[in-house]
Amino acid sequence: METTTKAGQEILQVRELTKSFYGVAANDNVEFSLHRGEVHGLLGENGAGKSTLCSVLAGLYRPDSGEVWINGRPVQFRSPLDASEQGIGMVYQHFRLVSSFTVAENMVLGLKGRDRTVSLGQVEGKVRELASRYGLDVEPTAHVWQLSVGEQQRVEILRQLFRGAQILILDEPTAVLAPQEADRLFDAVRQMADQDHSVILVSHKMEEILSNTDRVTVLRGGRNVGTLGTSETNAAELAKMMVGSEHLPEAIQQVVGQFADKGLVLSVRELEVEGDRGTPAVDGASLDVVAGQIVGVAGVAGNGQREFQQAIAGQRQVAGGSIMLGGRDVTRLGSASGSRSGLAYVPEDRLGTGLASGMTLEENLILKGYKELPYSRYGMLRPRLIAARAEQLVEDFDIRGSRSGLPVSLMSGGNLQKAILARELTRPHDLLLAASPTRGLDIAATAAVRRHIRADAENGGAVLLFSEDLSEIIELSDRILVMSRGRIVGSYTPETLDIGELGLLMSGAKVHG
Amino acid sequence: MSKRASISPRARPPWTVRVVVPTASLIAAAVVGGLVISMSGNDAFEAYRTILDSSFNGVRPLTRTMTLATPLILTGLAAAIAFRMKVWNIGGEGQLYMGAVVASGLALAIPSDIPKPLMIAAIVLGGAAAGAVWAGLAAIPKAYFNADEVITTLMLNFVALSFMNYLIFGSTSFWKDPKSSFPQGLRIPESATMPRMSYRLHYGIIIAVVAAVLLWWVLRRTTYGFEVRAVSDSKEASRYAGMRVNSKLISVLAISGALAGIAGAIEVSGVVKRLDPTVLASELGFTGIVVAAVARFNCLGVIPVAVLLAGLVVSGSSLQRLGIPPEIVFLLQGLIFLFVAAGEFFLANKVTIASTVPVQPAGNGGLANE
Repeated sequence: METTTKAGQEILQVRELTKSFYGVAANDNVEFSLHRGEVHGLLGENGAGKSTLCSVLAGLYRPDSGEVWINGRPVQFRSPLDASEQGIGMVYQHFRLVSSFTVAENMVLGLKGRDRTVSLGQVEGKVRELASRYGLDVEPTAHVWQLSVGEQQRVEILRQLFRGAQILILDEPTAVLAPQEADRLFDAVRQMADQDHSVILVSHKMEEILSNTDRVTVLRGGRNVGTLGTSETNAAELAKMMVGSEHLPEAIQQVVGQFADKGLVLSVRELEVEGDRGTPAVDGASLDVVAGQIVGVAGVAGNGQREFQQAIAGQRQVAGGSIMLGGRDVTRLGSASGSRSGLAYVPEDRLGTGLASGMTLEENLILKGYKELPYSRYGMLRPRLIAARAEQLVEDFDIRGSRSGLPVSLMSGGNLQKAILARELTRPHDLLLAASPTRGLDIAATAAVRRHIRADAENGGAVLLFSEDLSEIIELSDRILVMSRGRIVGSYTPETLDIGELGLLMSGAKVHG
Repeated sequence: MSKRASISPRARPPWTVRVVVPTASLIAAAVVGGLVISMSGNDAFEAYRTILDSSFNGVRPLTRTMTLATPLILTGLAAAIAFRMKVWNIGGEGQLYMGAVVASGLALAIPSDIPKPLMIAAIVLGGAAAGAVWAGLAAIPKAYFNADEVITTLMLNFVALSFMNYLIFGSTSFWKDPKSSFPQGLRIPESATMPRMSYRLHYGIIIAVVAAVLLWWVLRRTTYGFEVRAVSDSKEASRYAGMRVNSKLISVLAISGALAGIAGAIEVSGVVKRLDPTVLASELGFTGIVVAAVARFNCLGVIPVAVLLAGLVVSGSSLQRLGIPPEIVFLLQGLIFLFVAAGEFFLANKVTIASTVPVQPAGNGGLANE
């Protein structure tokens, strides 16, 4: 299982670590070891257990069983402070900085006792020294709000180094960075490793792991499926480890291509959409969805999927290209114009977008139909008919855990998703747009959601499915597309599917031809 | 084994709790207030009896209380509907002034021989329109440029106050009484005054109560109310469902302003009878925010809370006659606000006291989200 590439001394060891949440093991007997002076990649799909492992190491969670050893001695963390004292520093995806404070002030934030009494001038001096030593340029007297995202991240790293961290955990550090900034970050990471720090790099971007780590550990379903020397492996092998190749053949068999060549329901041409920060998120993507067909779009999150979905749903402005929905050009029309009446949309964010979290299930089930007969007439709601409708849907879709008068936020993820599906699928629609529809759901709910999606296509609906769960895409889709950097970079039918190549495309690599 | 309290959030408390907690809050406010009154060398029981006698005991005290409660119900509703939608309209004060300005202007401009119901309808609607427009001045920048409505509505209060003062004290305007030797507003004609029910209590109270019930019904039972509730709960989800979020924001602020404007119109028509800045600027708009908060932004809850707070204010002069400083009234108001806010915690959380240390569920709620 283990290959040592660098004759480093073992600084951190995780032994048989198990951590469950309500009976579901997020980490299942995980073994992990980290050497002094190495950059160790932690790779896995969403839900593979990367964050849980890191949170245990950072002292945020206590393991159910298993041990963490540092420098040959077992340790127990009661709080992140304990982990910090043992030299473990974590840099989260979402920064924890006070934006109205200066860089130096953020360094001493939260320090206790004697450490706190140093003068700010001394702190600034030390920050400068650390910054030049590791190539993490930041002006210590600058206020955090003045800094770019990349600079703020450097502040976070410096803060951990300032506190004497020997082991740094970087959780998806490039998710928020532009490519040049990411290169800079990896330069700094390398310098840290050269100066005997150990870095755990959490990522689901294979390319990043391959070019910046010494060893890589792949997690799948809460288990360590292997630790390899980075130079001895390749993207295709890692992709297979991440996805798990053993259940592929069966999954492909399940795909029954129902190519009823009916009308073109959705046709997207050269779509360009800007992201939240004004940079191009969707960059010339084209795709078609035909009635009765499930088109699955695979890809690593953050490659323009969200913006693409929002553009289809009329919730984000289109910068270029066109969207034809049900034979009508809806490119410039927003969702409030009624142009999306033929769209059933299961958004990624269930509570908050798909559902109004503080409203009841009954109300949420008419969130889109409240203006229509029979739920309202002459602008007045008809509570008895609304309740009857809710009762019917609760039964048909097996939605559990709702109590009348209580907000839906109290229901479980699976039931929330069933509620959204119940509302969306029972409205007349040509296209079902589903984004990560089974993320975080248990097995039974996942099966139910997939069954509904398949049934929708069998009834002649067109389905556009986005998912980071590759096995889900493979199991459901008649056509599999790959999205990377805002473009559709690959297209397969179940018969032509090459999982290794698909993994490469997902990771952003170019494939010949 | 040590006793330990565990606190867990709850969605909706049982009705017993919803009755017991506010009652306990009121009692606690009364007890603490009583202690302060005693410490100031006065008889607390005497003070409370005076408050009850002068505000609630008998037809005449009740009419005085209800007369003051009328504008408070309306400004309370104005704050309740806006705050519910998380639109922090603290400009009820200014919207009320503008309502009063336009209402008194209409009362003076419209021929005084038209039928009374028409006249009153005209000035109430005029006041509503003025309040709505004044709130709209803050609503549109809010909706389109995300201008902070706390600042804009607050600043517009001062603009409205200055404008109203200018009309009476700074100019020889249409509103001013030219014959009077000291600056004051021209008295509105008899046909523009709100008819009285009993003593000074006028029919404005009916308008206020109807407004409260109507608003409650609109929010609960109409598609418009559904949209308002959806937008106040989640803008994202509302946008997703195809609702026009900005137009809801603007319309709610306009309704809020209209209610405050009606309060101004009714004060002019029912109580003040002229545009009198010194009488009108008595913080009815701000008190409305307190009313709404104590009523937990419930439209029907606004009515009893407004009556209670009005009763306290009305009793001020009687307390003074007893030698108890009338400021005690503000103290009690503050205490009620404080204890009701504290009681909110017990409504939102379930507190149990156990003798063993309870097991805390660990982690982030069960999902191993990456």
